[in-house]
Amino acid sequence: MERLARKSLSEVIPMIIISPYSKKLERENPKSPSASYWRELISRIDEPIIQIGIDGEEQLVSDFRKNLPILELKALLKECRTWIGCDSFFQHLAWLEGKPGIVLWSVSDPLIFGHSENINLLKNRDVLVDNQFLWWCFVEHKDERFVTPDVVLENIK
Amino acid sequence: MAKILCSVATRGRYFTTLPLVLNAIINQTRLPDKLIIFDDNDAPFDMRKEMIYQYFFQMLDIKGVKWEWLFAEKKGQNYIHQSANTMGYDFVWRVDDDAIPEPNVLETLFSHINKFVGAVGGAILTPPLKFEQFAPTGKIENIDTEPNIQWSPITFVKEVEHLHCSFLYRAGVHDYNLGLSRVAHREETLFTYGLFLKGYKLLAVPNAAIWHLRNFEGGIRSENKEEMYHHDEQIFRNMVNFKDKTVVVLNSGLGDHLVFSKILPEIKNPAIFTCYPEVVPGKSIAEAESLFGNLDQWNIYKKMDEWKWKDSLEKAYRKLYL
Repeated sequence: MERLARKSLSEVIPMIIISPYSKKLERENPKSPSASYWRELISRIDEPIIQIGIDGEEQLVSDFRKNLPILELKALLKECRTWIGCDSFFQHLAWLEGKPGIVLWSVSDPLIFGHSENINLLKNRDVLVDNQFLWWCFVEHKDERFVTPDVVLENIK
Repeated sequence: MAKILCSVATRGRYFTTLPLVLNAIINQTRLPDKLIIFDDNDAPFDMRKEMIYQYFFQMLDIKGVKWEWLFAEKKGQNYIHQSANTMGYDFVWRVDDDAIPEPNVLETLFSHINKFVGAVGGAILTPPLKFEQFAPTGKIENIDTEPNIQWSPITFVKEVEHLHCSFLYRAGVHDYNLGLSRVAHREETLFTYGLFLKGYKLLAVPNAAIWHLRNFEGGIRSENKEEMYHHDEQIFRNMVNFKDKTVVVLNSGLGDHLVFSKILPEIKNPAIFTCYPEVVPGKSIAEAESLFGNLDQWNIYKKMDEWKWKDSLEKAYRKLYL
């Protein structure tokens, strides 16, 4: 683990971390609450990108680091220029590490589950579900609840 | 003006002490804003068809007291009290179905309420009186060696650490333990001691007597299974054993653990039960369930839902633990 951390620290090329998926939902809804336009978004970013995630998630870039322990994720956060994610554990980890990034929100409320240090991209408050504290697997996934890739790209600059 | 709910949990006493209780509530000098009868009978009746109850309901209407007859879930009176506790009232006056309050009880109990007080109880007198020669401390450490302070006439206001049977309490600040068995042994002791541990004063006060007409037929605790009492007693002992700790139960996701970790250094003497020990070290959730029965009182999502929470998750954790 230390070896890996040293290796990545020696790579001083700033990059962007993406954390496109939250934990796979249980019960009947197979889709993670994340936008489906990640591939388009990535194709329009002209910077090195590292994807983080876990087994079973779709690989979107060549450098996909799966199942990293928390310590290694912290080390990666130190190196990155910024990061883009959804409402998952990663935005909380980055907040604790003092590394602001971009969060793509849809049905969950960034005023409750987000951090003001980040760029919280919420289309509007009308897309939020009424009860923020129920199981997310009961919430229907809809792509139109997210801001467009253009909005995300505008905020990466 | 503070809103008071009066809750009566009943079982097997439709035609014995329950009518006396309802009549006493209707004739209080300070009326509650609402009366709810939680009917826990195995075969409940429609009491609107009973003449004496028809009169009670009409008297409540005439006096402007809202009332409701709810059929309980038959899970135990801890569930009933938790339901009353979370109905949005400022205070709940809980009255047993065999405990007849004198007319001034609610007015007297409420007169002792201020922002520091979590619950107020008067004497609960069971004829013939037996405990007048004692001077109980009302401390939890003496619960095995002294009678409850409410079992004999109370002559002066005394701060205690737990209350018994019937009392007026501040609603929505502490949960009843839903992990107890159907007999819900020690439920009110656990509940009021929990209020005490949260920093609220508990008062035993004079001039607020309730006459307990002990009736071995019926009653919300009319189960007689030794193992249920043993189970509940063990939970009670475990809770008391942790009295000097701040029990933290993180039965939630990785992100929640990370947010919680921000406030952890501010928590005094934490005893932590966790799903992600690599993020927040602690014992397992299974151990917490074994020790405390039900973990809902530490469920941050359930709490935020109850609080109709609009602020951040970090602040919700602060409200729950600090």
